[in-house]
Amino acid sequence: MRKKPTRKRSDHYRLFRIVILAGFLLTLAFIFLVSTLGSQKFGSLHKLVLEAVGPLQKVATRTSSYVETFKSEYIDILQDSLRLREENKRLIQQLQENENLLNKSREAMATNASLRKLLEFKNTLDQQQTVAATIVGKDPSTQFRSVIIDRGSNSNVQKGNPVVNNDGVVGQVFTVSPNYAKVLLAIAPSSAIDVLLQKSRVRGILKGDGTLTYRLEYILKTAEIEEGEHVVTAGYGGVFPTGLQVGVVSKIIKKPRGMFHEIEVTPSVDYQKLEHLLILQQPKLSEIKQMEHP
Amino acid sequence: MVVLNFIVVGVMLAILQTTLCMPTPTWLLAPDLYYVLVGYLAFHLDLPRSLIVLFPLVCVLDVLSGTILGMYALICFGGHLLLRLLSAKLPVKQYLYQVPLVGLSYLAVSWAVYLLLELLEPGQQVSWYWWKMLVRTVLVTALSYPLFLLFDWLQKQSHRSFLTWNRLRLRNDNRRRQA
Repeated sequence: MRKKPTRKRSDHYRLFRIVILAGFLLTLAFIFLVSTLGSQKFGSLHKLVLEAVGPLQKVATRTSSYVETFKSEYIDILQDSLRLREENKRLIQQLQENENLLNKSREAMATNASLRKLLEFKNTLDQQQTVAATIVGKDPSTQFRSVIIDRGSNSNVQKGNPVVNNDGVVGQVFTVSPNYAKVLLAIAPSSAIDVLLQKSRVRGILKGDGTLTYRLEYILKTAEIEEGEHVVTAGYGGVFPTGLQVGVVSKIIKKPRGMFHEIEVTPSVDYQKLEHLLILQQPKLSEIKQMEHP
Repeated sequence: MVVLNFIVVGVMLAILQTTLCMPTPTWLLAPDLYYVLVGYLAFHLDLPRSLIVLFPLVCVLDVLSGTILGMYALICFGGHLLLRLLSAKLPVKQYLYQVPLVGLSYLAVSWAVYLLLELLEPGQQVSWYWWKMLVRTVLVTALSYPLFLLFDWLQKQSHRSFLTWNRLRLRNDNRRRQA
């Protein structure tokens, strides 16, 4: 009860001080405003203020500039490097994809070229029914020369069918299963093809010896033959069509003994690059009869 | 399980040999991988199981290679029996002694089969060249050791069954009470 008048007095005193301070400040502001607006002079006060604020401004500007430089030199570089790394990754990936695509395209082009040649060759075989096949396996033994192809009896491939490519005779179908067949290559020792020397018209038997050359047998010594003469299929027996390219006479060994020449023939087919083949189908007996009696 | 695994491995070796190992039809450096398996079976598996593995292998090889059926049967069974006889006489059962034997038996059996086929069907095979066959023998010998290790690993894996039968075995006795 006794403290109440003291607090009331203190509150009045505080209010009085605020009013006095406000009045003083307003008066100063009024004087400053009137003097400034009136004289339009950059006075001492202004100078003082400027001198006080200038260094602060300077520091702020320099700091800002420093921060800006730092940012441009380091943070931006860091960001750029991160961005570049991402970009690099993306480009490397893109490059790899493109290289893969390029390889596939090259492979497709090579296959296309090979198949195109085969197709052109196929078109030269007039009425002959053919089946295109690809080699899927090769004989690993040292004694035999054969390959497995991806066409069989389901594609009307039969035992004995001649096998060729765009360069000439490759071999003959040896065994057949529904979807695959084994082809005895012409370079195999057990292979024998009836052939004709194109220029001299001499007939002989072409045999393989397991290497990349053929042996031409049963050519009488009386026959006049030359190196470089082309050897083609004779067409006797009806297995191979007449005139298919087989090879070129590369060596004639004349021995004093015996009745026959020893002749080496270089194959027209490159056995190192065998890939796509054509199987020449022989007409069935019923078809031949139908052709004879339509 | 061992038999089945080795049959699969044998067929895979034959396929590998006729495809990836043969870039051209006259390629010389194609290793006869199947013969390494023949040698391994002779040294490490009993005769009945070895023969069960060899039958399909021989069949696949005869189909994929050669023009005289049964040639691979002669090579594989001949080589297998020869190596089995030799392994019985061999005092030390180590790869160091087994690997050269595989190579030597390969050469010997190939030559014997060549001579036999020349006698029965002359002119059907490529002439015998010692240097070519020696190259093949070296390849077989060189590949024998790593393949033996692979086959060893395979055999160990084959002995592991998918289920541990001991855990599944029903025990009708109270072992603690017995103890």
